[in-house]
Amino acid sequence: MYEIWLMLNIVWETLLAAWPLVLVLLLVFAGLTWAALSRRGAAWRTAWPVALGGAATVGVLTFLALPSLTRSSLGELKYWVDWLTLAGLAGGFALVTAALLLPLAALLKRQPT
Amino acid sequence: MKQRNGDGRSPEPDLPGAASADLQRRRWLRAFSAAPLVAGMAASPATAAMKTNARIVIAGSGLGGIAVASRLLKQLDGASVTIIDARQKHYYQPGFTLVATGVWPVDKVLDPTADFIPAGVKWIPEMVAEFAPAANVVVTSGGQRIAYDYLVVATGLQLDYAQIEGMDVAAIGRNGLASVYAGPEAAVATWTALDAFRQKGGQALMTLPAGPLKCAGAPLKMTFMVADRLQQAGTLANSRIDFHTGLPTDTVFGVKVVNDDVLARWKALGIHNHYLSKLVAVDPGARKATFASPEGQRETLGYDFLHVVPPMRAPDVVKKSDLAWKESGFAPGGWLEVDKATLQHRRYKNVFGIGDINGTPRGKTAATVKKSAPLVAHNLTQVIAGREPDARFDGYTSCPLIVREGSAMLIEFDYEGKLTPSLPMIEPLQESYLAWLMKVRMLKPAYVSVLKGRV
Repeated sequence: MYEIWLMLNIVWETLLAAWPLVLVLLLVFAGLTWAALSRRGAAWRTAWPVALGGAATVGVLTFLALPSLTRSSLGELKYWVDWLTLAGLAGGFALVTAALLLPLAALLKRQPT
Repeated sequence: MKQRNGDGRSPEPDLPGAASADLQRRRWLRAFSAAPLVAGMAASPATAAMKTNARIVIAGSGLGGIAVASRLLKQLDGASVTIIDARQKHYYQPGFTLVATGVWPVDKVLDPTADFIPAGVKWIPEMVAEFAPAANVVVTSGGQRIAYDYLVVATGLQLDYAQIEGMDVAAIGRNGLASVYAGPEAAVATWTALDAFRQKGGQALMTLPAGPLKCAGAPLKMTFMVADRLQQAGTLANSRIDFHTGLPTDTVFGVKVVNDDVLARWKALGIHNHYLSKLVAVDPGARKATFASPEGQRETLGYDFLHVVPPMRAPDVVKKSDLAWKESGFAPGGWLEVDKATLQHRRYKNVFGIGDINGTPRGKTAATVKKSAPLVAHNLTQVIAGREPDARFDGYTSCPLIVREGSAMLIEFDYEGKLTPSLPMIEPLQESYLAWLMKVRMLKPAYVSVLKGRV
């Protein structure tokens, strides 16, 4: 329980240290979602493949690039805990990407009325 | 040689990049982190604060002092909490090895102290000049006499470079002289010296004195990183690394299983160990270091790179006070006489200690403070309530031991030297990316959470 609480605080402080970027992403997400929800004909169903494809791409790229971006390398992943950590982080970036792409794609791929 | 405050920190470093801290941004951040939404998300499970008008003085604004202050403010309603410390800059000391090895810029280890002093705490920007525990008074460097009901000693320790003849902290960074401990400017200068050394390679002398040290893993990390930087530069083959320690044969670390693992790794790297060999003098201009055996035999060696780890002791203000140990192995260093389980002073029951100053078997690390700050705040609250301190500290400490750039081992252990991984899946002696990632990305956010009294 303590470790979960500690991890939540680490995430919180990390986000707080990058708050301008976090704020911009939240505003973009909110704006896109509002726009997509308020417009009739937004193509949510066809947006999913785009969002998932983009998320998968970002996830894979993050998985491959994050070690070197943190002054390490894929070769330093030595046991399953390392792989799980990296996969979790890549998944987080993928999730954010999906959250941004979904309303955007829904807006751009409007269904014919 | 130049003397520094308390635990070896200079009051106001003048560093490129550090002075340009964006005060406005920090104010916004502070306001944001204090917002109700944030507080609601980040606050620990609420417990009713105890009403009291106790006067609590905390000597020191390092991690321990501020973390305990943050917690006391949440646990006590009506208490007066005063922090006494002249330092205007707060140092994230766990990051010094990263700065000294070229991994981090120095601004990552520097923050204004004011950013972390909790709202509601009175901050007296002076040093404690005298402890008078029998009178429940501290005297500040400005001559103020501050009376207290309860005292928390969090002064940190004194880096005793003066024990090394010829050592000049101001000379770090020149002529191959390095020392990661002396402060952020010394960490930067150490990287300057190491960066120059690795270009050509040569003779590196690494040192480790006997006796209590803060972050006893730092001399080992520096040794690993010197080897790694030479390897990266392609100069390891024409270099020699000698590690001199005042410790007995086959000992470089206090936890045997870790010690043996490190020695095996060093053997593979070709690092040569010299035991019962204490650095006693240095001639920076001539690049010569003198080592002495316990029998007094002296040997002078030339070097291209020398990493100095100074002996450490309690600051004079504690050492010369009645708060220091009078007997036991902690007496020569003048460490604070606390019970190792409750961290309550053994003779003055209204006094507690936290952090490097404590005369306890192990644990002069930020991780120790992380685990013991809640305990000190709790036990102090118990004493204020007229009860016995009932929380007991197991001596937890942790060392993300960097083995090269990009990899580390996450070692956690207790007073007995027993490995105590926080998560069962963590393998302490497994070099790993996760441990490295924690060191370079996750531990500072955790540290800030400790300062805020949340974890």
